[in-house]
Amino acid sequence: MKKMIVLNVNGETHEVAVNPWKTLVDVLRNDLRLTGAKRACEMGTCGACTVIMDGQAILSCLTLAVECEGHLITTIEGIEGPDGLHSLQKSFIENGAVQCGFCTPGIIMTAKALLDENPNPDDIEIKDALSGNYCRCTGHIKTIEAVRMAAQTDREGD
Amino acid sequence: MRLPQFEYLRPDSLKECLLMLEESNTDARVMSGGTGLLVNMKHGVIYPKRVVSIKSLSELSSITKDSEGNVQIGACVTLSNLSKHPLISQKFPVLHNAVRSVGSMHIRNMATLGGNICLETRCWYYNQSRQWRQAKGLCHRTGGSVCHAISGSKRCHAINSSDTVVVLMALDALVYVMKKDQERSIPIREFFKDNGAHNTVLEEGEIVASIVIPKTAEFTPAKYIKIQHRQGIDFAIASIGAALKRNGKAGEMTIVVNSIASAPVMLKKTSQIIMESGFKEDAILKAAKEARSEIGTLTNLFSSAGYKRQIVEVLVRRVLYGIKDEMDLRRDKA
Amino acid sequence: MPIKAKEYGVIGKRQPKKDGLLKTTGRSQFTDDIILPGMLYGKIIRSPLARGKIIKIDTKRAERLAGVKAVITQKDCPGIMTDLDRQLLCNDTVNFVGDEVAAVAAIDDDTAAEAAALIKIEYKPLEALFSIEKANDKGAPVIHSGHENNYADEFDYEIGNVDEAFSVSEYVRVGEYAFNPNHNCYAEHHVVIADYSIPGKLSIWMPNQSPLFIQKSMGGILGISEGNVRVFNLNTGGAFSGRIGPRKHDFIAALLSKKSLRPVKIRCTADEEFIVYSGGGYSRYIIKTGVMKDGTIKATDATYLFDCGAYWISGVNFLHRLKYHLFPQIYHMNALRWKERAIYTNNPPNMYPHGAGFLQLKLAQETELDLIAQDLGMDPVEIRLKNAVSKGDTNLTRAHYASCGLKECIQKTTKISLWKKKYGKLPPYKGIGIGCGAMNSGGYDRSAALVKIGEDGRCSLFIGLPDMGQGSHTTMAMIAAETLGIATEDVDIVAGDTDAAPFDIGAFAQRGTFFTGNAVKVACLDAKKQLAAVASKKLGVKPSMLIFRDRKIFPKGKPGKALTLKDVISSDMNSMGGSCIMGRGFYNSPAKTMEPWESTLAYSFGAQVAEVEVDQETGIVTLIRVTVAHDVGFAINPMAVEGQIDGQVFSGMGQIMTEECIMERGVVLNPSFLDYRLPRTFEVPEIDYSIVETIDPYGPFGAKEVGEGPLVCTMAIANAVSNAIGYPVKEYPITPERVLQAIQNKKKAKGNEPLDRLF
Repeated sequence: MKKMIVLNVNGETHEVAVNPWKTLVDVLRNDLRLTGAKRACEMGTCGACTVIMDGQAILSCLTLAVECEGHLITTIEGIEGPDGLHSLQKSFIENGAVQCGFCTPGIIMTAKALLDENPNPDDIEIKDALSGNYCRCTGHIKTIEAVRMAAQTDREGD
Repeated sequence: MRLPQFEYLRPDSLKECLLMLEESNTDARVMSGGTGLLVNMKHGVIYPKRVVSIKSLSELSSITKDSEGNVQIGACVTLSNLSKHPLISQKFPVLHNAVRSVGSMHIRNMATLGGNICLETRCWYYNQSRQWRQAKGLCHRTGGSVCHAISGSKRCHAINSSDTVVVLMALDALVYVMKKDQERSIPIREFFKDNGAHNTVLEEGEIVASIVIPKTAEFTPAKYIKIQHRQGIDFAIASIGAALKRNGKAGEMTIVVNSIASAPVMLKKTSQIIMESGFKEDAILKAAKEARSEIGTLTNLFSSAGYKRQIVEVLVRRVLYGIKDEMDLRRDKA
Repeated sequence: MPIKAKEYGVIGKRQPKKDGLLKTTGRSQFTDDIILPGMLYGKIIRSPLARGKIIKIDTKRAERLAGVKAVITQKDCPGIMTDLDRQLLCNDTVNFVGDEVAAVAAIDDDTAAEAAALIKIEYKPLEALFSIEKANDKGAPVIHSGHENNYADEFDYEIGNVDEAFSVSEYVRVGEYAFNPNHNCYAEHHVVIADYSIPGKLSIWMPNQSPLFIQKSMGGILGISEGNVRVFNLNTGGAFSGRIGPRKHDFIAALLSKKSLRPVKIRCTADEEFIVYSGGGYSRYIIKTGVMKDGTIKATDATYLFDCGAYWISGVNFLHRLKYHLFPQIYHMNALRWKERAIYTNNPPNMYPHGAGFLQLKLAQETELDLIAQDLGMDPVEIRLKNAVSKGDTNLTRAHYASCGLKECIQKTTKISLWKKKYGKLPPYKGIGIGCGAMNSGGYDRSAALVKIGEDGRCSLFIGLPDMGQGSHTTMAMIAAETLGIATEDVDIVAGDTDAAPFDIGAFAQRGTFFTGNAVKVACLDAKKQLAAVASKKLGVKPSMLIFRDRKIFPKGKPGKALTLKDVISSDMNSMGGSCIMGRGFYNSPAKTMEPWESTLAYSFGAQVAEVEVDQETGIVTLIRVTVAHDVGFAINPMAVEGQIDGQVFSGMGQIMTEECIMERGVVLNPSFLDYRLPRTFEVPEIDYSIVETIDPYGPFGAKEVGEGPLVCTMAIANAVSNAIGYPVKEYPITPERVLQAIQNKKKAKGNEPLDRLF
C-alpha cells in the first residue's frame, strides 16, 4: 500500500505517495523528476546515485524513500548557489574532470560531502572518499585533481 | 534492480520492535543500514513479508562507557560514526582501522556495526539474480539441496566477509542480544556458526542490540590487516585481527581470520606457538606455517583455496610482526 | 616548419568541455532520464540453459495480467535474423544462458517483472560447449549447422615470403598467450526507448557511438529504409568500442512498441549487462617471430583463436580478421602469416573489449619482443628503436606514414622515466617496462558537416558525430571557431538526431577528429568564403586580403577598419539580393584504395614506460607510474588529449591487471561492478604526459587520433610486471594468483631456460 510522505529535497518539500519498496533514487527520478542521481549498478557499488542526506553522502539506490521523511536531502540539482556554480562544479569543468558525465553527479556529491566535513583533505582522503564511485572514462586522475583544486579555491576564498 | 514487495514497519522503541518481531515470526527481517539486506532482496534471495527498520531507534544508536569502563556500542551506530568516535580512535585504534576498511565511504555512512556483524555470508552462486540462479539450479540456501561451491557438500559454504568481527573477536567483545522479554550476552567468539546458511547463533525474533568491548582490551597490542584485490571498495581476500591481551606475564594471544570460510576462524594452535615461544623470528614463521593447516578445508569461492591459504600465512606473519613492532615501540617509549 | 600553437587563436589551448555545465549540474539527459507519455516498460525472458530445445512457450497467463500491453515471442518476428546465425527471438533452440526467448511490455516495471515470471517455457537440455578446445574436438556437437567444425570464421593471410624469412632468421622464438573474457563495463547500462507506434517510422533513443550504423542495421533487419529509423542519441555513458551497432534488446523494444502502439523502454539490470555485454571473448595467440642477431625482425607467424560465443556478431566481428595489420604496424618486417579462427561455443556472444582487442594482440607481440631482446642480450628500448617505422615509410602491409613520431615518443618517454638508470638496476620485485603502439585515425570513409551563422554572428554547427565524453563536440566547436575567427563559446553543436544530422558514420575507429574535423573545417571554410565575399564588397578589398579574428573581419594590417560578423551578415541578409550564411562541408578520404590499412591516412604513435612494484608474497601488483609520450599530430585541445590518455592508461591497466569475466559453464560468476574488478581511485598511477606534435599533412590542423592509441601502448604495464618478477606472465589479466604462479614457475625453470616449446 502506498504511503504519503513528505520529502525535503534541496530545500523544497514534496508530498509523494510511495510504496515502501521504492528506493529514494527511483522516487527522485520518477516522481520528483530530479534525474541527476543516476541508476547504474543499483547495488551500492558504483556511487552514481549518491545524494547527501543530513550532510552525509549516501547511496540513494539502497535507501528506502519511506525512510527519508524528516531528513534533509540534497541532490546535484541543489548545490548551485545564488552566485552560480558550486566550486566543485566549476573545478570539475575547468580541470577536465568530466567526460561522459554519467557518474559525474555522484562523484561531485561525494566530494561535496567530503569537503563539507573536511575542507583540507589530503590525496589519500580524497581517494578514500571517491573509491566508492565508479568511473570508466577519466581514470579518476582529473577527478581527484578537481577535488583538490576545489578545496584549495574554497580555502583561499575564506 | 527492483525490490520485491514488502510491508514496512518502523517501531518507535526497542520494546515495540521486539514485539513486532515476536509477532512476525519468520516473516520479518530486521533492517538497520540496509546495505546488505536490500542488496539481497534485490537479488531475490531474501524476500521477507515485513521489513522492520531499526535504524532510527535512538536506544541502539549511541556509544557509551558503562560504570566498569567497558565500551558499549549500539548496534545501529553507523560505521562512519563509530570510526570517528574519539573513544574508538584513541583507545581501540585497531577497531578504527577495521571499520575504516569496510566498503566505501558511502557504505560506511549507511552500514551499522550490528549489520556488519550479522552480515549475510556471500557466495558466487547465491548473491545473484533469480534469472542467474535459475541457470545453475537451486542450492542449500535457496531451497535446493546442492552446494555449487563444494559439490556433494551437505551444507552451505558461503563466506563470512565481515571485516570488523576479526578485531572484535581478538578483543574478546560481547554481543548483547535481545528478544521479547529476554536478553542475553554472547561472547562474540561464540557468536558464529560454520554454516553459510545460518551463520550466527541468533534465534528467531532475536536482534543484536549492542556490542561491548571490555575495558581490559583498552590499549592492548593489536593489529588488523585486510588484503583485498582493490583498495577502497572491496571485500577481503582475507582479513586478520590479532591481539595480545596481557594476562600477568604470559599474555594471551588471539588471532582471527575471516573471509575464507562461513565463520571467522580462530587460530588457536597458531596462537599457542607464540604464547609458548614469544615473538621470535622462527616462532613467527612456524606459527604462520601452522596457520595454513589450521584453517582446514577451503572453497575456491572468490579466490582459489591454495591462494587463500598462502594469503593466510602471509597475514599471520605480518600481523605478528606488527604486534611485535608495536610492543618494541612501546618498550622504547617506556 | 610546424605551426606553433600560439599562432592560433582557439586551437592548441586547454578548452573545458562545452557540455561541462550540463554534466556537472545534472541537467544533461541520458536515455534512462527520459519518460515519454504513455511509455511502457519492457522485460526480456531469457534462456536459463546454455543449449537446449524449446518444447513449449506458454504466454497466456502473462497476457491476461492487468497492465500487460504486449507479449512477444518468435511468432511475432518469424524469420527475422539479427545476425547471419541468430534469430531476433529464439525459434526452437537456445544457445547460451541469456538467449532471448520472449518479452513483455507493461505499464510499470513491477508489472513487467511479474508478467515475465508468468511466462512458462519448457526446454529440453542439449550438450553444450564452453571452451574452444572442446568445440574443436572431433565429434563435438555442432552449434550451428553449416559450421560442422564449429568455426564461425576462418581467415588466412600471408604477405611476403614467410618461409624464406624464417629460414634466414638467426633466432626464432615462439610464445603462447591467453586472454580471459572481459567487458567494456560502461557506467550507463544498456537502455533503449523505442517508439514504433507510427507505421513505418521507428524512433529510438539509446546510448551509442554510431547513429548511422544503428539506422542501417535496424532498418535493414526490420525491413524499413534507414531514413525511417530516427535515432536520438543524447549523452552516452561510456562506449569503449562496444556501442557501435544495435543489440537484441533494441530490436525487442521496437517490436514491443509496434505491438502495443506505445513507446517502450528496456533497461538492462546489472546481471543482464553481463549477458548482453559482448565484450572480449577468451582468446589465444601463438606467435612465432624470426629475428637477426642484431634484433632486426624478419618475420612473424601468428595464430589467433577466438571464442566468439554462441553467435557470430557479423556486423563488427570482421575486425578480428584484420588484426594482422598490427604486427608490422610499427615494426618493419619482411613477411607475415596470419591465421584467424573464431570458434563457436555456448558462452554469451563476444565481440571485443575496449580497443577492439588490439591491446591483447599487442600484449602478445610486445612481450615476445621483450623476451627476444632478453635472449639476444639487448635492451628492450634498443630492439624497438632498431625496428621502428619512421615518417615517409610504407610498411609491410602497405600502410604509409605521412607523419610519424614513434622514435621521438620512445626517446622522450625513456628519457623522462630515467629508463637507462632503472632498467636492469631496480631492486627485486620492482620493475620497469616499455610498450609502443600506433592507431589508425579512421579508415576509408567520409563525414559531412553543416554550419549556419545567424544574424548575430552565432554559429550552429550540425554534425552527426556523437560525443561519448571524449570531448569531440568541443573539438569540433574549436575547429569551427578557429576557422571562422570566432570563439568556441560562439558555436552551438546541433547533434544527436539523425533527422537533422548530416552524414557521419560515427565516433569509433578513432575517426572523429580526423574525418568529422576535416568536414567541419571544410564547411566553415565554405561559410568563410561567403562572409568574405560580402565583407570584401563592404571594405573594398580582395577577399584574400581579409583577416578573420575575434569575431571581426578586417583588411590585413588595418584592424581599425574591422566589421563585426553581425554587421556583415545582418546587412547582407536583409538587403535585396542578399543571402544568408550557410556552409557545407564534406570530407571524403582521398585514399586511392579500399584496402583497409593502405587507406588509413594518419596514424597516432606512442610509447609508454610503466613502473610497478610486486608484492612477492601476495602477488599484488602496484602500478606506480606511467610515463606517456604520444604523437597526436597536433593537440587541438590538450586538456581533452590528457583526458583520453588518462582513461586509456586506466582501461589498459584494468584489462591487463584486474578485469576478468570469470566463466563457469557459460555464466559469468562475477557479474557486478563489485566483483568484476575495475580499478578505483587507489589503484590509479601517477601519469606523466608528453604530447608529441608531428603535424600530419592530412589531419585538420595536423591533428590525428588519440581515442585508442594510448591504450595499445599500455603493454608497458605487463612488461614491467614481467621485469619485476623476472618471468613473463602469459595469461591475462595478471591477477595476484597468476603473478604468484609465474614466480613459482620461475623458480622451477631455474634461470634462463627456454620458456616455450618450439614448433
